[in-house]
Amino acid sequence: MMPGLVGYAVRSLVARPLRSALTAVGIALGVGTLYATLATNASIETGVERTVDAILGRAEIRIAGLRGIGLSEATLAVVASTDGVAVAAPAIEQRTYLGVSVGAGGVELPASVTLLGIDPQRDRLVRDWPIAAGTDLASAVGSGDAVALVSAELAAADGLRVGDTIAVLGAPEAPPEAGRVRIVGVLAGPGPVVDAFGRVVVVPIDRARAILGRSGADRVDVVLGQGVDPAVVRRRLADRLTAEPYVVSSPADLAEGLQASTADLRAMTALVAALALFVAAFLIFNTLSMTLVERVRELGLLRAAGASRRQIGRLVFVQAVGLGLVGSALGLAWGVGLGEIVVAWLRLLTPVRLDALTVDPLVIGTAVVVGLLVTVVAGLEPSLRAGRVSPIEALAARGQQALGPARLRWLVVVFGVVAIVGWLLWPAGPLDPDALRALLVYGLLLVVTLAVPFLAGPLGRLAGLPFALAVRLEERLARVALLRDRSRTAVTVGALVVGLAMIVALGVVAAEARRAAAAWIEGVVPGDLVLTSVRPVALDEPAVEELRALPAVARLSPIASFDVAAFGYRLDAAAVVGSDFLADGRLRVVAGPDRAEALPAIDTGPVVLVPRAVADRLGLRPGSELPVGLGSGRSVVLRVAAIVERSLPGRAGEAILVGWSTARAEFGIEGADAFAVRLVPGVTEADRAAVERTAREVALEPSSIERVHGAIADALDRVFGLFDGLAVVAVVVAGLGIVNTLAMSVFERTRELGILRALGMTRRRLWRTVLVEAGILGLVGSLLGVAAGLAAGFLMVELARGPGDGGWAPAVPWLVVVLAGCFGVLVAVLAAAYPARLASRTSIVAALAHE
Amino acid sequence: MAPILEARDLTKRYAIGPQVVDALRGVSLSVDPGEFVAIMGPSGSGKSTLLHLLGGLDRPTSGEVVLDGIPIHRLSDDEATRLRREKTGFVFQAFNLIPLLTVYENVALPLTIAGTSLRRRDVAERIAAVIELVDLADRLRARPDQLSAGEQQRVAVARALVTRPAILLADEPTGNLDYASGSELLGALWRSCEEEGQTIVLVTHDAKAAAYADRVCVVEDGRIVDEILLGRRADHSAAPLIGRLAELGL
Repeated sequence: MMPGLVGYAVRSLVARPLRSALTAVGIALGVGTLYATLATNASIETGVERTVDAILGRAEIRIAGLRGIGLSEATLAVVASTDGVAVAAPAIEQRTYLGVSVGAGGVELPASVTLLGIDPQRDRLVRDWPIAAGTDLASAVGSGDAVALVSAELAAADGLRVGDTIAVLGAPEAPPEAGRVRIVGVLAGPGPVVDAFGRVVVVPIDRARAILGRSGADRVDVVLGQGVDPAVVRRRLADRLTAEPYVVSSPADLAEGLQASTADLRAMTALVAALALFVAAFLIFNTLSMTLVERVRELGLLRAAGASRRQIGRLVFVQAVGLGLVGSALGLAWGVGLGEIVVAWLRLLTPVRLDALTVDPLVIGTAVVVGLLVTVVAGLEPSLRAGRVSPIEALAARGQQALGPARLRWLVVVFGVVAIVGWLLWPAGPLDPDALRALLVYGLLLVVTLAVPFLAGPLGRLAGLPFALAVRLEERLARVALLRDRSRTAVTVGALVVGLAMIVALGVVAAEARRAAAAWIEGVVPGDLVLTSVRPVALDEPAVEELRALPAVARLSPIASFDVAAFGYRLDAAAVVGSDFLADGRLRVVAGPDRAEALPAIDTGPVVLVPRAVADRLGLRPGSELPVGLGSGRSVVLRVAAIVERSLPGRAGEAILVGWSTARAEFGIEGADAFAVRLVPGVTEADRAAVERTAREVALEPSSIERVHGAIADALDRVFGLFDGLAVVAVVVAGLGIVNTLAMSVFERTRELGILRALGMTRRRLWRTVLVEAGILGLVGSLLGVAAGLAAGFLMVELARGPGDGGWAPAVPWLVVVLAGCFGVLVAVLAAAYPARLASRTSIVAALAHE
Repeated sequence: MAPILEARDLTKRYAIGPQVVDALRGVSLSVDPGEFVAIMGPSGSGKSTLLHLLGGLDRPTSGEVVLDGIPIHRLSDDEATRLRREKTGFVFQAFNLIPLLTVYENVALPLTIAGTSLRRRDVAERIAAVIELVDLADRLRARPDQLSAGEQQRVAVARALVTRPAILLADEPTGNLDYASGSELLGALWRSCEEEGQTIVLVTHDAKAAAYADRVCVVEDGRIVDEILLGRRADHSAAPLIGRLAELGL
């Protein structure tokens, strides 16, 4: 390419500072969002490693007992004595409260803490304990074991310092002084505890046993000898550990679990980032096309002066690359900031310990390369079109006719490139089913975008109606302006459609998630209130009788959560009173005998109700046998009474339900950790408050079903809020496209605007005309965006459903629809501010002289 | 009878980079009601600038413009806009029709902008009358891209006449037309003047076009150097005018 033309290409960009800047900003937003997503994924990878290190330290094997059973002293001794084991560090972990006495009065229960009991001497060989103040447990325990470490967050929140004495709530049978411990140190972090919200108290394991009135441990972390093969030790342990069921995991298993817990989050952010990039591609394509129209005479002159088609094409191509480079560089800066925000948000949503955003040269390079690639592909068609300009046509005719319309078919190519890039960079790998689902959703949005040129006309007339009622002439002139270049209008609207569709689709998915969660809770919990306890509450405790005797309480149904081992899996289980669920109308039976027969059956024998998802996974049917390991070579066979649609939530899924008689007899479950309270109909607020007060007196935390709904809704809002924020970026990029389009429209109509002024149109009415043009664009984009978003959302919900999920009815999130629609119009109208000002301020004489 | 339009000692100065250009240097002009005046001059003489000032499209550096008794040089932008809407009609060299609006809609545009209080039937009758004047009654539903250059310019003339302006200002209206179309257009303008008493100021460099006028003001180098009285003539012969211009050395 002639060197002079490179300089000309750059000067042409600089000569149109607004358009070049807007385009570069649009690319920056798209690339930045992509970078933030990639960098966040990298941070999660690093965070997973850091979390596994924090949790397991140098341990290569973790042996965990089942909830409700744990690991006996005998098991701990076997582990420690197994050949190849260098260190076996046991631990007890239990949620409890500080400074609470049962029966002390109905005060508000404080935030719970996690009590961690460790063997200080052995545990220091497994992991490091970074101390922020004071000393570690191993150094302090020589003076007695009534010592504790507290996490820094707990110390700050509760105003605790080294030397303070705290009272840990323990088992009812434990002496109160057992829980009184002196703080000897403050931990720099939460230690090896997950999901503790930073509130951790660490004591010697014997002290923990005394506080909780138990023996054994919940788990033991194992460090192997030098050069010992973990697989060999696992086999030895499998042969020797027969006392009770357990789960063995390695650091890789833990890492996999943590990765899986963030998979959905990362998948959704990846999809939204890809769409933001796609919208940025629209902007580039449209901008370069508009620039061609504006400069067609220049290009014709260059051709007449001897520039070849190839040189003209390269000229436009150089501009695309230039915009891409500037945009990508800006995008990195924006991406770092956005990435920090996303990481900070993710810290609230995931147990992975996320530090600052990971800055990885590979990630930076990937984002820049992808940004350039998308820019180049989007700019390729306009470049080729520029090269085909005939000098005579260009010099004689208006630009539009000389160039021909932008080929919207090219957008399919751009879509394809962005789709392939997104698919290759998919967080869980290209073969992940979620990647293919995302492609389907993406494809749906592309189809809608390509339909815009056909729909824009009739929708434009429809969208113009509200404006025509108030400002008829402005509406007519605005529609004329929009139809002047249908493909440009279509691309501009298309970008807005994609951004708004994403917001609405997320709204549909969020609404369905909320509905499903609400239906789950309401279909399962037999009560108006749920009272939760940090310690097992015996069913014959006076406190339970006291609650049952309250006039407002119609029924008090105990629930105990524990784990069982079956078919090599750890399953969530719950002890419940089947007849209570029957009386309350909870649990829908989907296979097996009638509810009236199935539910009470679990109260009388070794019979179990299995949720549909678990039944499908294990291939269980009514009448099937479920052998459950009890340890020491023993097992119990539970007969499946019925399959229920949904069951009580467990730690990792839904719980199988057994009756209390089976739970006591076979699994040793003696106390409930929750009670479902059905209140008497028409109960007053005062009576309800009395129930809650009585519950708190015995350290039972009351939560109404509404509050549970609210907590779930809040959690979902946090998740979807992140996605919505990223989708808004796509809409903002679309807004930049509207600025460009309207500015170009004003430029093309300069003389026409001059005539209108000459004919007596005031500046204000001209300004209004451009605003109405934007309003119609926004309204068309909103209408299509909402329709496409609803379709995409329903598709996403349907694709996410598993074989065990029942039917669903599409629900329209009306608030999201209205807000997204208004947002689309607002963005468009705001985008019109500058072009409208341009239009109204044009000098009549200059406009009339404009060619 | 008082003049419908008076310009007194108009000057217009432009800054083009470091240079200052005097486009008009003290021009005075008056136009009587129903008169057809042509302003002639070579390219760059200031005739279009003069027309813009007369029509209130631009403000003079100094001097006064009084249209129908209103000193337009003192009006605010909005007041000048309203005055243009009510008192003037414009025809420009580039036809400047709104694409995608029909002939009817383009002609009606000034009335639509003004938000007239006329009844719909009266509006339709007025539009029909001006369309008839320019002989385009059978093209009401056509769009500009479906019309010839001459037809488009006649639509522009109809648009300029539809509000019965106090004065019609035309800037090189035949500049982009062939001879036959140009003659048709000028004939329509002359008829509006002759039959309806329309006051017209026409800017042109073409003597044949200027010959349609009652009076020709010759502008050169920002000044009116001569006025040539031709009178109202049905034959529009340019010979007397060309002869006089030759005497002036133009």
